[in-house]
Amino acid sequence: MKKLYTIPAAFLASSLFLTGCAGFQTGNNNDSSAENEEGKVVLDFWTFWGSEIRRPVIEKIITDFNESQDEIEVQHTYLPWGDIWTKELAAIAAGDPPDVVINDINATALRGEQNQAMNLSEFLAEDDISDQFYPELWDATLYEGDSYGIPFNTDTRVLFYNKDAFEEAGLDPEQPPTTWDELEEYAAKLDVKNGDDYERIGFYPLWGINYDVWMLNANGHNFINEDNEVLIDTETNLETLEWLKGWQDKYGDDVINSYKAQIDSQQGNPFFNGSLGMYVSAPTFYTQIRDYADDLNFGVAKLPEMEPGNGHTSWGGGFVAEIPAGASNPEASYEFIKYLTGAEAQEYWAVQNFDNVANIEAAESAAQSDEFTEDGTMVYSMATEYMSDTLLTPVPVSAPDFMGSVNPKIDEVFLGSKTPKQALEEAQADVESLVEKNTRE
Amino acid sequence: MTSPQEDTRYVEEAGTTRDIKNPSYFEHHGNRKKMLKLINFVLLAAGSLMILSPLWWMLSTSLKTMAEVMSFPPTFFPESWNWSNYIRTWEAAPFTQYTINTLVITTLVVIGNVLSNSFIAYGFAKIPFRGRNLLFAIVLATMMIPGFVTLIPQYVLFAKLGWVNTYYPLVVPAFFGSAFNIFLLRQFYMTIPNELIEAAKMEGASHFYIWRKIGLPLTKPAIATVAIFSFNGAWNDFLGPLLYLNDENLYTLQIGLQVFKGQLNTQWNYLMAGSLLVLLPVIIIFFFFQKYFIQGINLQSGGK
Repeated sequence: MKKLYTIPAAFLASSLFLTGCAGFQTGNNNDSSAENEEGKVVLDFWTFWGSEIRRPVIEKIITDFNESQDEIEVQHTYLPWGDIWTKELAAIAAGDPPDVVINDINATALRGEQNQAMNLSEFLAEDDISDQFYPELWDATLYEGDSYGIPFNTDTRVLFYNKDAFEEAGLDPEQPPTTWDELEEYAAKLDVKNGDDYERIGFYPLWGINYDVWMLNANGHNFINEDNEVLIDTETNLETLEWLKGWQDKYGDDVINSYKAQIDSQQGNPFFNGSLGMYVSAPTFYTQIRDYADDLNFGVAKLPEMEPGNGHTSWGGGFVAEIPAGASNPEASYEFIKYLTGAEAQEYWAVQNFDNVANIEAAESAAQSDEFTEDGTMVYSMATEYMSDTLLTPVPVSAPDFMGSVNPKIDEVFLGSKTPKQALEEAQADVESLVEKNTRE
Repeated sequence: MTSPQEDTRYVEEAGTTRDIKNPSYFEHHGNRKKMLKLINFVLLAAGSLMILSPLWWMLSTSLKTMAEVMSFPPTFFPESWNWSNYIRTWEAAPFTQYTINTLVITTLVVIGNVLSNSFIAYGFAKIPFRGRNLLFAIVLATMMIPGFVTLIPQYVLFAKLGWVNTYYPLVVPAFFGSAFNIFLLRQFYMTIPNELIEAAKMEGASHFYIWRKIGLPLTKPAIATVAIFSFNGAWNDFLGPLLYLNDENLYTLQIGLQVFKGQLNTQWNYLMAGSLLVLLPVIIIFFFFQKYFIQGINLQSGGK
């Protein structure tokens, strides 16, 4: 009898105790029109920068902003990468979103169309800051001509190559490959075979990036253009796909998969110890070389072009700072975003994180920063210059998920169950009907 | 899990058939038996090693330096055993606070699930009332709705109640029963003979009294199962705390672990150290309540 009462009793006791806990006090959420004791507007700023490296940098920028004026107080909330946007969506739906959030630049227009992000054109009409940013980035934030987010950071894809391996193979370490033909030729020279195994692989184009980057590199445009034309089954894409398939045939699935597992897991990279001669990655890959393969003698170059004169087009992404729809203090939020994307904060971010930033002035002065080592400066300034050849792939509003129709077809090419021509034709047809369906409604 | 057992059975059978044909079977019977035991043991040990290897990989990664994690080819044993990784992991975020938070939520969820579900299940099993079967069917039907569909409406509801950034949305639902647990416990209550309930009623016992004095003690194994599964569910819940908590001081362990996973790179050594620490209570609970775990799994698969 006594025993049986202990359960409810313990429950009651603990719940009484817990109502005293912070987790059970309602009303401590950052209420919409929140003001603190000093009468400042309090802004809730959501980012996914919680790492040892990034967190102190963003918090320093926030502190600087808070101290620079006495109207607004920004509070930082870290949320896990990727999941942050699930939470944001729920918060927008409930009408209680944060005041500023960092979001993917490529889907900015989509969020504009779907009323998830606030239209910033009113603020820009008063004070046009668009020319502070790389045009390619700025354009990605537009939906029907209006901006829905201000570009924050960005990246590109560059070719890292091992200079010592170049020398060993009789190549000039100051002359990285500039065309696809050279890339193939150099890779063959860099290959070191031991029986059936490779001691060094010269290059494999689908480690680090996907086929779509090579197609972008070859034809300089996205799969769906502004007029909703689908450009998947093209002569250039076909040639690219056949070229990529050729690499697969050269090295064979066994070799490719054993390396790929390692590269995809982001635990170690064969480029670090010289068992891979060339590798395509974002410029921040340099920080991994710096931290984990300090002795590596490497160079960095633009992606080779398909044919001379075709262009060294590369692919990039990035993030914007935006105001979620329904946020209660848009003016204050915009004020903070302007600071966040301004030259001073951007340069600090760029230098501390070795990250490409969207603000042109900041990017260019960061490239001169004496806080970088010689290698760091080399990579950073190259990446900054390369921004002019870097394209984004904004999600087309007419078919946001179209890559879901394309990827499986291309996978089948590499699995050997479809020819490149078949795959592209089928993908073209699928995406065309997708676009037609979505635009008709 | 079943494959080592099947293997053993196979070896035993194969051994027996061969033994009978062999004239020296009877002389060496003792040795043969030992031999079979040894083979059993080796096979089971090999199977366990295989199953344990990911856990070893976690442990080994958690002790490496980041440079070693990134080295190619990967190393199976750490070059140096960096136990300090565990301290640094714990200090990288307020993990002590997160542990307390997680414990508070988990405890309440377990209490809530045990009380509410056994209570509701008793009603469905032992109290006849009009529309009982229909109501029970509706309860079961809620299992058909995937959680993601109700995610946003639920969030909007809790936001309207002003419960965002509190533990209420994580804890209160546990006090209102869940279809699977109700089903599980109801099946258990059904096995209690109605005569027993009738007899107690004749003696003047109320249903509440019968539930407490007869129902709960007789369904202990099932209740333990419910408790263990709700512990695991609440302890490992990521989406709930992610959605409802905004204040970093209220975060739970599962959210805390994400600190080590970034957009570009992951601090694998810290992530693995943290994951092992978070996994520890689950492993300990498993050791102590193995019996109920296995029973629970049997009940689950039997139920489906």
